[in-house]
Amino acid sequence: MTLAAADPAAAAAEAGEPRRRGGGYRRYALGKVLGALGSLVFMLVVNFFLFRVLPGDPARTLGRGRLSTPEQIAEFNKTYGLDQPVLQQFLTFLDNTVHGDLGYSILYHRDVSEVLVERMWPTLLLVGTSTVLAALIGVWLGIRAGWDRASRFDRFTTGGSLTLYSMPEWWLGLLLIAAFAVGIGPLPGLFPTGGLHSVDADPSSLSGVLDTAWHLTLPVITLTLAYLADYALIMRGSLIDELRSDYLTTARAKGLRDALVRDRHAVPNALLPTTTVVALNFGFVVAGAITIETIFSIPGLGLLTTDALQVPDYWLLQGVFMLSSAAVITANLAANLLYGLLDPRVRT
Amino acid sequence: MAAALALLAACLTPGLAVAPARAAGDDTTLTVAVLTDVDSFNPFVGIKATSFEMWALTYDYMIGYSMKDMSPQPGLATSWDTSDDGLTWTFHIRDGVTWSDGEPLTAADIAYTYNRIIDGGPEAATWGSYLTGADSITAPDAETVLLKLKKPLATLPLLPIPIVPEHIWKDVSEKDVKTYKAEPEDGQPVVGSGPFRLVSGEASGSTYEFDANPDYWGGAPHIDHVVFRVYKSEDPAVQGLKKGEVDFVDGITPLQVQALQGEPGITAQNGDSPGFDEIAFNTGAADPETGKPIGDGNPALQDPKFRHALGWGMDLDQLIAKVYQGAGQAGTTIVPPTYSNWRWDPPADELMTYDPDKAGRLLDEAGYLMGDDGLRTMPDGSPIGKLRLFARADSMGDISLNTMDYFKEWLGDLGIDSEVTAMQSNKLTSVILDGDFDAFQWGWYVEPDPNSMLSYMTCGQRGNWSDSWYCNDAYDALYDQQQLELDRDKRIEMVKQMQQMLYEDSPYLVTAYNTIGEAFRSDRFACLVQQPNPGGIWLFQYGVYNYLNMRPADEAGDCGGDAGATKATSAGSDGSVSTEMMIGLGAAAVVVIGAGGILLMRRRATEADRE
Repeated sequence: MTLAAADPAAAAAEAGEPRRRGGGYRRYALGKVLGALGSLVFMLVVNFFLFRVLPGDPARTLGRGRLSTPEQIAEFNKTYGLDQPVLQQFLTFLDNTVHGDLGYSILYHRDVSEVLVERMWPTLLLVGTSTVLAALIGVWLGIRAGWDRASRFDRFTTGGSLTLYSMPEWWLGLLLIAAFAVGIGPLPGLFPTGGLHSVDADPSSLSGVLDTAWHLTLPVITLTLAYLADYALIMRGSLIDELRSDYLTTARAKGLRDALVRDRHAVPNALLPTTTVVALNFGFVVAGAITIETIFSIPGLGLLTTDALQVPDYWLLQGVFMLSSAAVITANLAANLLYGLLDPRVRT
Repeated sequence: MAAALALLAACLTPGLAVAPARAAGDDTTLTVAVLTDVDSFNPFVGIKATSFEMWALTYDYMIGYSMKDMSPQPGLATSWDTSDDGLTWTFHIRDGVTWSDGEPLTAADIAYTYNRIIDGGPEAATWGSYLTGADSITAPDAETVLLKLKKPLATLPLLPIPIVPEHIWKDVSEKDVKTYKAEPEDGQPVVGSGPFRLVSGEASGSTYEFDANPDYWGGAPHIDHVVFRVYKSEDPAVQGLKKGEVDFVDGITPLQVQALQGEPGITAQNGDSPGFDEIAFNTGAADPETGKPIGDGNPALQDPKFRHALGWGMDLDQLIAKVYQGAGQAGTTIVPPTYSNWRWDPPADELMTYDPDKAGRLLDEAGYLMGDDGLRTMPDGSPIGKLRLFARADSMGDISLNTMDYFKEWLGDLGIDSEVTAMQSNKLTSVILDGDFDAFQWGWYVEPDPNSMLSYMTCGQRGNWSDSWYCNDAYDALYDQQQLELDRDKRIEMVKQMQQMLYEDSPYLVTAYNTIGEAFRSDRFACLVQQPNPGGIWLFQYGVYNYLNMRPADEAGDCGGDAGATKATSAGSDGSVSTEMMIGLGAAAVVVIGAGGILLMRRRATEADRE
């Protein structure tokens, strides 16, 4: 309840203060942090009610063919606190959340936080690696393509990344499985068809780490290819915008080499929009990649969400939602703070 | 970019030298691909089908199931007797069975497990209904279990309850049951008495490993390890089977079965599943307490004659061919043919066949005459209106939606207007409970004793598990009577009579008896027996017969004289590239790409410098 009470105060702090010009980075940062905290509190409230309006009754989904008498259903609801009024459940939820207790998953009969931590690593590895790779490769491709606009390289990259972008991820994944996991013709199956590690691998040993890398190769390639266009096209677009700028002409007039003009002058300015996209996308990393996790059977958060929705497992859903929205809010904040540093204009 | 690639390459290069640890020696490992994960290894809380299979491997049961027709057969109990009034059951327990930690398994463990269930609490949720009306369960000596009932229970001796060790579970209080994991700890397998021991795996994990129990009372298994690998979609699992990464896949589609049947070294089938799919009607939703009607079901569907007539307008053969890809049988009653003992087969003169003329005639006779607009009317001349048909949007292979689309067409042929809506099954459940529907498509699995399935059609289950809101006093009377009838033959007669009632009143029109697609590497394993035999499934059966009976293909022999078992086939295209080689090749590929990338970057750099 204390958190909820803080909400209007936080909002007032952000909106009520008259904005002074040139208030400096500290004021800017403070505003953004308070705003993020406000969103966090709001998310907490929404989190509870959002999933209660879902159709479906856990006792009926989990008990089909099993809980045959009304008494058994009542017992089930009592065990999991589902028989209490919603307001009471909400207060319990707030109290528990403030104390760091995310509740108990009725689907897996384990603590939600435990399941979340376990499922977070595969997702971080898969989506995180793909996002980093896609951002690095995409930005590099975008710079090359934008600088030599309409060159053969540009046409090839733009066309190629758009094709990959519009291809359904699961289909691309299945193609890669058929080609590189099962093998075609003389090509043997190089990679596993799914999963995160071999059955007998010890994940903490060196061979276990390599084994996981081996399992993640195809899914990471799939996701990287799918994400590539995001970064390549934005980078290309913003670089093209800079091409006609006077300062580039000045730089060239100084006699700088073309590559230097590009890397020292054009690219830093063109990087701003891409930075935002990269930062925001990092917020979505924990949301997982449901289709890729499904195709490659990677036990990540995306799959967890779909499984939890079917019950619906309120506590697990709340946990996943809280984790992913907190990540998005944090990434948003990071993007704002970074932007404030990179571009003084936004501080006003 | 270059740095990233170099780093990745550097990470992977040792892969050439380091091979992952592999089970050494000549151990045989059966790897089974499953499409759902385990929700709990604790038999008192898990509910997913995969979890049931895990318990069956880990624990024993007092009563087992036959392979032929799933009738009761000895498990931990070697024999049993019933008192004349049916109120006392005496089970004689096998001697010399031990838990995996060396403690003896006695009648006390069985009584302990059952008492935890009849005491209520979370333990009663899954298993309570098998012990309904139990008064006391005791173990007068190590080899006897005495079960006293308040009133006879005809479903006995059906007791599919895993027996847990008292010396472990006595430390788990009732309030801790729902969080107790029953998973391997500190490298120690879960204590059980079953043919296999769970050595690694956790709920919601993606692999579960079992080692054979060499001292199993039913004889040591012929395979050394069983590994379950969770695949989240069917296609990659099928690819894994083709490649040889897994040995068995379960729950694949008829089209995949067809494709796999052509592969050398693989045997595939659509096994008869112990369940049915149906179109259910709103036969008159009403508050079970007050009897007051609820919802807005169409009055025409409250007339059994109307519902039954629709059955003659359904072309089930076409449905099976088109929607089920031929893998299934046209449906009749709520007890599938897999339970040949219990099943009532409609005689030829009653069997609904596709006969739209007869359907029309029956509708005419019942007063639903064709109006001038080509649509039938109610007997009082008012329009019937549009029937609202619901389908589950999340059913496998769109079976639900396709069935209802066909049904809409057939209704149209009879002069009845309708519309199809697809929605999530969760949402549909609420619609059904509110009585705001006319018909929907769903399916059930039926247990080896049809008692619970029959109970869902009683008045008392309205607002609970009944989804057709069917209520018929004559049916209910028979239901209560059969539950108390101890003469099995007499009881079967009553169960058949009840099926006939349902067939005629048609709260459900059973559309199909489903199948389950299965495939395995018959070049590696042999001696799987179908349950029911013949026609049934190979794994995920009632009981663990095949895990015990199955042999490596080169040691199959005559499968211990089992005639119905699958034979080994010659090796097909195995993906027999060793893991080391695969890792090595994979790493090499990455290194080459990485090195190429770096070279390219270098060249670019010097090129730019030269300008």
